Amino acid sequence: MLDTEAIRRDFPFLREGRIYLDSTATSLTPEPVLNKMLEYYRDYRANVERGVYKASQIATDALEKARGEIARLINAKPEEIILVRNTTEGINLVASGLGLKKGDRIVTTILEHHSNFIVWLRARDRVKAEVEIIMSNDEGFLELSDFNRAINGRTRIVAVTQTSNVLGVRPPVKEIIKIAHDKGALVLLDGAQSVPHMKVDVKALGCDFLAFSGHKMCGPTGAGALYMREDLQERIEPLCIGGGTIEDVGIDYYRLRSGPTGFEAGTPAIAEVIGMGAAASYLMGIGMPNIASHEARLTKTMLNGLAEVPKLTLYGPKDPRDRAGIFSFNLGKLHPHDLAIALDATAGVMVRSGHHCALPLHKYILKAENGTVRASVSLYNTEQDVEVFLSTLSEISKTML
Amino acid sequence: MKIRSLYENYRNFPKTDCGYCGNTSCITMLRRYCLGKLPLSKCIYFRAGAYNASDLSCGPPVLKGMPKSTISYIRPCPSDSDRITVEISLLTPENSKYGYFDMITAEKIFDQVVPGLKISPSLGIARQESEGGDVMGFSEGRMLVQRADSEGIAFRQLSRFVRSLWAAVN
Repeated sequence: MLDTEAIRRDFPFLREGRIYLDSTATSLTPEPVLNKMLEYYRDYRANVERGVYKASQIATDALEKARGEIARLINAKPEEIILVRNTTEGINLVASGLGLKKGDRIVTTILEHHSNFIVWLRARDRVKAEVEIIMSNDEGFLELSDFNRAINGRTRIVAVTQTSNVLGVRPPVKEIIKIAHDKGALVLLDGAQSVPHMKVDVKALGCDFLAFSGHKMCGPTGAGALYMREDLQERIEPLCIGGGTIEDVGIDYYRLRSGPTGFEAGTPAIAEVIGMGAAASYLMGIGMPNIASHEARLTKTMLNGLAEVPKLTLYGPKDPRDRAGIFSFNLGKLHPHDLAIALDATAGVMVRSGHHCALPLHKYILKAENGTVRASVSLYNTEQDVEVFLSTLSEISKTML
Repeated sequence: MKIRSLYENYRNFPKTDCGYCGNTSCITMLRRYCLGKLPLSKCIYFRAGAYNASDLSCGPPVLKGMPKSTISYIRPCPSDSDRITVEISLLTPENSKYGYFDMITAEKIFDQVVPGLKISPSLGIARQESEGGDVMGFSEGRMLVQRADSEGIAFRQLSRFVRSLWAAVN
């Protein structure tokens, strides 16, 4: 069982009694992570992989240690972790580096965040690749038979989220990976909403790429990671090349380095990467299964409570076993922005409102033109947070509709 | 003209609860006058000249312009960049102890009466829907209009909202 009170003391943002239910957008950052970042700026502020003096060596070691911790979080090797800015950049790296050409096929789903959706539509527009979008039912469930039908010998890549950032639904990615691999296609997983909240094991899953963000896993903004299977790295063109990526450069030639650094052009966001590594250590220290079971308990309380709020429409699965701790809903005809403002102004409850960077899902499945309100739970939320949120929601429903 | 609150107006009322006007109390008479349902001449004291109509606000005043210092922000709407959101704050040092709007009084007078106006005393919020943009007001005097087509329309909506709740200003 999580010692939530002890965990909450690590998060300075929560000291003023705020109720933060928007971890899906960005998570809060604990003191140990902040201290690690400041330690870099204060004690060994130097560039990495460039200088031979001591401070530079310390900085390099700290960055590589962070890479190692990030790899350990998802059971990968450090050589398989490419440091990027965020999930979006990781996905763009794969999309642009695959060398897609006319006639290639891409399969993705209606559940995707724009970052794992429009990159493929752009590939369709640029190189005349084919894009097939697998539709879900009203609750967000996808059918494996649809993947079986859509993936064929021309499919280069299947891009799918491991947890929907709107509905909290978790597609059957292991089965999807099997179908894709049987037909010769690669699989990219969007792990932005899964890696921070549950144990993700890339070896057990067998995915080819997994992208996730530091700022959604209690790390700072500006650092993310792309897991890329080691044997694929020679086949993927880097998104950016330049300093730090080369083996040799002549007057009329260049040779790129092998390994993840071949994809990491320029000076990285050093403090941020160190912070992301510290965040990975922080989460592993608590234990991903502990975090997952804490959030599952809150999910159950939330679902039971939301079912009691009059005139509330909850989107996504109603069974807590079928979803992560992400809840999108509408209240009567109240505009989502107005509801979010009311929750903040009256009870200090912070939630997101709008389309959550998932317009196709809102337009074609949820039919929610104005978007939805989204609340999400994380390791630092409590039952009391959920109760205050639910009671304020009920009061708004009774008096404002 | 300065907005007079219900309480300020009540101070200039007889407060005898005599019942001659047909209402059970002076506060009820005042509320109905606020709503435009009764003329002051119904009250024998005002008819006799013992109390003066000029001591009362004769209705919600027209607000001419909004002082710049009250504007918190004007920015594009998050979900519709063709529209804007405007937030203002009317809280002054005089109101700060009790807040700007008394939502309990507001609900008693205006709820179900002003079209599109919903008031929640427990939450301290009032909300008015309209085509020009939906307005939300909070008891501490913070008000915002969402999804307005232009600044001019936004400020007209805010002005209309304040006038709708004029009798509930502390």
